[in-house]
Amino acid sequence: MIARVSDQFPWGPVRIRIESWRCCRLTDPARFEQDHVHHVYDAIAEHFSDTRYKGWPVVEDYIAALPIGSIVGDIGCGNGKYMGPYDHLAFLGCDRSGALMRIAHERGHDVQIADGLCLPYRSCVLDHALSIAVIHHFATPERRRAALAEIARVLRPGGTALVFAWALEQVSRKRAFAVQDNLVTWKTTARQSRKAANDRTASTYERFYHMFVQGELQALAAEVPALDVIRDGYDRDNWWVVVRRRA
Amino acid sequence: MRYFSLSATRVNTERLLTHNMLQCHVKNCRPNESFPLTIKDPELERTEAEFNPDFMRGLVPKLDWTALRKTAGALGLGDLPAEMPEATDEFLQMLHALVLETRVVSGSMVCDVCHHVFPITNGIPNMLLQADEV
Repeated sequence: MIARVSDQFPWGPVRIRIESWRCCRLTDPARFEQDHVHHVYDAIAEHFSDTRYKGWPVVEDYIAALPIGSIVGDIGCGNGKYMGPYDHLAFLGCDRSGALMRIAHERGHDVQIADGLCLPYRSCVLDHALSIAVIHHFATPERRRAALAEIARVLRPGGTALVFAWALEQVSRKRAFAVQDNLVTWKTTARQSRKAANDRTASTYERFYHMFVQGELQALAAEVPALDVIRDGYDRDNWWVVVRRRA
Repeated sequence: MRYFSLSATRVNTERLLTHNMLQCHVKNCRPNESFPLTIKDPELERTEAEFNPDFMRGLVPKLDWTALRKTAGALGLGDLPAEMPEATDEFLQMLHALVLETRVVSGSMVCDVCHHVFPITNGIPNMLLQADEV
């Protein structure tokens, strides 16, 4: 929001920039996520997907250790890069972005369009779950906790989930973030955005991220009554935890 | 970059295994009563997947047999016995063909209690709800 106050002040035009998104984020988080997460992913899906092909070792090791016959849900699966195919696992995936689901489906994955706060699965149906770089997109602590609680609901007692979220403490990025709640820009070149949005111009999109500080992800998971944190760590600018649903 | 690694046999759509995991999640609906969702106007497809008896043995206890039986009957895929049979290789192969190789390409899933319709387009179920249904 740009307010022009030159009428009131005789010393000339003064422009005051008000961070309007910070207000909207707290008063209407669902709408805020729609504008700053859902719409962005739908617009950048192809370009985003082309940049997401290399898996993180912690995630791949977690998947490799899962027992044969496990039903695994990738909640917020994006283009499905962690979904295999694996011979010994039954992978389901879901994501809020229809455009990303079409890409994941094209790659041969069994996916659904769904909301992380209201998953379409039966309770206790998943043996294991992934939530990789997802909950940092929820706008408030309550919604991030609710997303973990929903994963806990669909996990069977004793089932585990691996959760990754972006860290405020970043070692590889040149520009550090000063605060935890940020709009991070995604730039597409003219060529990429023509694919992405039938648009011939270069575009810039802003995605919302809540960057977790040390200990925050563990504390958030511990607030969900059904979950125990059994492992945690830091990898590639992210904090991660493995949680287990209580029996 | 396009995805050229897909072979023709890996055409994936919603497997009946997935259908067995999905339920109506509309606010105040009774998912236990409405499960399984009724598949309407289905276009089915069968794609071959490699049979792995150990994997199937691990999968068996996770299926809701009553729901699978109801769905298989409604789709004309055969009459399953009321009780789940013993896990012989023959049974596991039948089950493999039913839950992993049978896919719903298009159609919809309808909740028998609240009548919400979840469309399946190009093999992707859309399970999103309107704001007042959450």
